[in-house]
Amino acid sequence: MTGIDATSVMYIIEIIIGGLLVAIGVHFVPVGGAPAAMAQATGVGTGTVQLAAGSGLTGLLAAGLMMKMTDNIILIVASGAVGAMIMIDATMLVGNWVYIFGVGTPPASAKVNYDPITKLPQPPYMAPGTVGQGIPTVCYVSGTIGGLLGGAGGSLIYFALLSINGNPGLSGIFAIGIFLVNAVLASWNIQGTIEGFHDTKFKRWPRVVQAALLASAIIGVMAVMITGGA
Amino acid sequence: MDAFSMGLLAAMGALATVAGASEDIESDVGSQSNPNSQVQLAAQVGFPHRIYNKAISGEPPSNALWCAVAAGTAMVLIEKFAMPALLSIALGAAVAALFNGVFSTTAYMGRNASQARFNQYVFLDVLRTHTTTIMAHAWITAFCITCISYIMAYVLPMTHPFPMPLIAMIWGLAVGAIGSSTGDVHYGAEREFQNTAFGAGLNTMDSGHIVREAEAGVRSSIDNAWFCAKFGGPATGMAFGLTVFLDNWRATIFDPATQGVLVVATGIVIVIILNIYNKMLENYARKKYGPYPEYKGDIEA
Repeated sequence: MTGIDATSVMYIIEIIIGGLLVAIGVHFVPVGGAPAAMAQATGVGTGTVQLAAGSGLTGLLAAGLMMKMTDNIILIVASGAVGAMIMIDATMLVGNWVYIFGVGTPPASAKVNYDPITKLPQPPYMAPGTVGQGIPTVCYVSGTIGGLLGGAGGSLIYFALLSINGNPGLSGIFAIGIFLVNAVLASWNIQGTIEGFHDTKFKRWPRVVQAALLASAIIGVMAVMITGGA
Repeated sequence: MDAFSMGLLAAMGALATVAGASEDIESDVGSQSNPNSQVQLAAQVGFPHRIYNKAISGEPPSNALWCAVAAGTAMVLIEKFAMPALLSIALGAAVAALFNGVFSTTAYMGRNASQARFNQYVFLDVLRTHTTTIMAHAWITAFCITCISYIMAYVLPMTHPFPMPLIAMIWGLAVGAIGSSTGDVHYGAEREFQNTAFGAGLNTMDSGHIVREAEAGVRSSIDNAWFCAKFGGPATGMAFGLTVFLDNWRATIFDPATQGVLVVATGIVIVIILNIYNKMLENYARKKYGPYPEYKGDIEA
């Protein structure tokens, strides 16, 4: 165990900011859950936490490698964010291959009549009896932003923890835990599925800020005290 | 950048591609992940079947478990018993496959037994033939990912600071997330509902009406793996291979210690290219398939 001093408080604040980035980032990730796996809904056919964790933690690997080489926080966080973006982009791209070539459907959003980025009309391309399918451009861009925030948040948490204890393995596993707590909180807020920043559910993000703030503060204090003694 | 690192990186990309494909096929044989909601529903709406049913958990946590178990076992054998790496990794993957077998068996028997009131039986021949197939695929996934983790933790000139089981756990989580997001759509949207017209997702009215007849006889989950291995599995492999390769490539061609900015910038360029390609893909699909003729709204296509 170790005491809480001014430096520790700074690291706790970094953990809280990282947690908030993760929680808000999850709101950008376009996931359609089980219906999307049957091309019944727009978005990636998996759960919010699953995809956010998959991308954010891939970013954590990149950040871990970068932090071995440098202590420049901007480079570490940016490297984590880029790693997460690469993972989520590759996943969404190949997901679209399956929707387009395997299922034979063009990507279409059910939440907007016109794609806010490309201005392309959406309802005529929505299969009957479904609420959209695939990952249209607006969802893809939103997912990329989600990866950026999730990867940056996870990396920031890792940076704070490793700065305290210097143990990459311990810091990595704690960062994964804190990441998952915030991702699950966000998932409850959006109740399973969301298309991205153009979805009406996205407006709920201020609620998760309160929850993530509280959760990250508690876990941040615990994590700093526990890992600081390693 | 040196030839040795690039060779290892290529090997990692190839291993990741195989791992992605086998992960997806493992989840198709076992009917894990999201499309299993329809398998679960089928018996309840009057369609008992011979499809395997093992929703152990979401694919990312379960694959993270298999890979972490494999890498943990391998690490103990390498470091404490000084065993050769390849043999240790193979034994580690075998332990992970045994874990997988236990979870698969209990999941299949528990889920099907709980649906007895819907005339859904526990088929012992399905249990015997499919569980071993699932375990074999889980072995391949765990083996490949543990090899990737071993290369990252011990072999690359610039070794990763995380211990091997943690790297394996993260890659296991990623491969599960990718398999669940990509290949499973081929199983859920296409293979389970081949009795509906090609070119659309599942109409809500058809929920639970999964196809139960095979190309010959009654359909089993091994028939599903045969179908999904033609596209969904390799596509998943491509996605995971791309992730592992591109993410590590940028840190191999540039030295993170002195060229960190270039490492990040290369990643950003890759992300921009992927976004542009996706837009081109969307345009292609809209042009190729056109709007749905059933659409009666006011918005012009």
